[in-house]
Amino acid sequence: MTAGISGEFVAFFLLSLITLGGAVFMLSFTRVVHMVVALAFSFLGLAGLYVMLEAEFVAFSQVLIYAGAVSILMLFGIMLTRHDVDEEEQDRRRRHRTFAFVAVLALFVALFKGIVALVPAGEGKLAEANTLEIGKALFTKYVIPFELVSVLLLVALVGAIVLARKEGHDA
Amino acid sequence: MAHWLSQPLSWTTAAVFLASAVAMLLVVLLFVTYAIYFERKVIGWIQLRRGPNRVGPYGLLQSVADVLKLLVKEDVIPDRADRTLFILAPVIAFVPAFAVLAVLPFTETLHFADLGVGLLYYVAVSGITTLGILLGGWASNNKYALLGGMRSVAQMISYEIPLVISVIGVVLLAGSLNLKEIVAAQSGGFWNWFFLKQILGFAVFVVAALAELNRTPFDLPEAESELVAGYHVEYSGFRFAFFMLAEYVYVFAMSALATVLFLGGWHPPIESLGFVPGLVWFALKFAFCVFFLFWLRATMPRVRVDQLMTFAWKVLLPLALLNLFLTALVKELVA
Repeated sequence: MTAGISGEFVAFFLLSLITLGGAVFMLSFTRVVHMVVALAFSFLGLAGLYVMLEAEFVAFSQVLIYAGAVSILMLFGIMLTRHDVDEEEQDRRRRHRTFAFVAVLALFVALFKGIVALVPAGEGKLAEANTLEIGKALFTKYVIPFELVSVLLLVALVGAIVLARKEGHDA
Repeated sequence: MAHWLSQPLSWTTAAVFLASAVAMLLVVLLFVTYAIYFERKVIGWIQLRRGPNRVGPYGLLQSVADVLKLLVKEDVIPDRADRTLFILAPVIAFVPAFAVLAVLPFTETLHFADLGVGLLYYVAVSGITTLGILLGGWASNNKYALLGGMRSVAQMISYEIPLVISVIGVVLLAGSLNLKEIVAAQSGGFWNWFFLKQILGFAVFVVAALAELNRTPFDLPEAESELVAGYHVEYSGFRFAFFMLAEYVYVFAMSALATVLFLGGWHPPIESLGFVPGLVWFALKFAFCVFFLFWLRATMPRVRVDQLMTFAWKVLLPLALLNLFLTALVKELVA
């Protein structure tokens, strides 16, 4: 990229700003509902970044599942339970911060190593028949992990229903 | 439009895109204005009334007067409301409503983004409106608004699932998520339109779409007799207008989507009628879908709230899954 500021660069900058801004606001807001809204913006920015990477299917799945469903689910959970702005003791917070920083650093190193190891050198043609290629890969090369994940989700679903039902009988 | 879309982005193409988006917005606003007039006239006619007939010839300017009234009204923000979210919520509700129009193809050449995952885009982006409705209900700090918002969201999420699954049958038959290719797969006479091959899917789609639009018989979020007005009780002036606008833009989008997915888009019903331009066929089918919505509103009573969820999860979802299964089976055996 020798031309300096290209349209792609501007788009990347704006989307990163939305993503990171959403994340920072999520941490700094004090009301939980505001946090979820900031998080939703962060999710949307991420979806935009996926579009820039020519991963259309992943991008709109991201919008559908994270920006749409997960945010709404979180909001629902928050609204149905009682939440006051809680003030923790300063002392506990400081220790938490140190732990959190170490944990986040470790996570970052692990993820970064994983991503660097994963990305193949060659450039693939992603834009054309994006969905088709994902479907083919899922049902040939990755069929066993895919089916295992679906079984796992089914177990979680049934488990959630069983738990919810039990509570209903007690009440 | 395809000519412009294939060119690299420059100031000229950007200006063309902006101008066409503004033109689309004006078309949609015109549609909304006259859809409301049309709705009131149709319902009036069905109920043996006259409908609006005072402002302008045949009452044609009634909606314009209503919009003007909304715009000059005092903008009230309740004292105890969450100010930021209260202001933000109508925007979050409206922006996706207009954004989904970007992927709808009106004719072979008249369309905006020719997206490979057009259908997924529609479903994903339209889901964000729900967030706006929920936030609006919550930010108002009013129990009726919150109840209305919760009802609305629960309903929209529950009915989104059968809606999406009923549409997958169409995707299976067309072999693409691209809306243009889905229309192209329905060419050559009305017996090729997907509402015949996907009759079960179409039925589920119609019911789920009605519920997604919060229209009668599924207009529980706005059940006046129970909830005052639902999630937008506290809204007035142009913020209220934004919620109403979002609702009617979805009527536009959903009717266009039904036309594209099940009624053959711009294709004529018989090949020999091909001399009539595609846009006319699209407009006719689209107008029928819109009329159907108004017709139902004048005919059906409201569903009871306890029947609503059971119906989505125990009737529509299994039917949609059955439709998907049958489609896959037929496609595997026949083709």
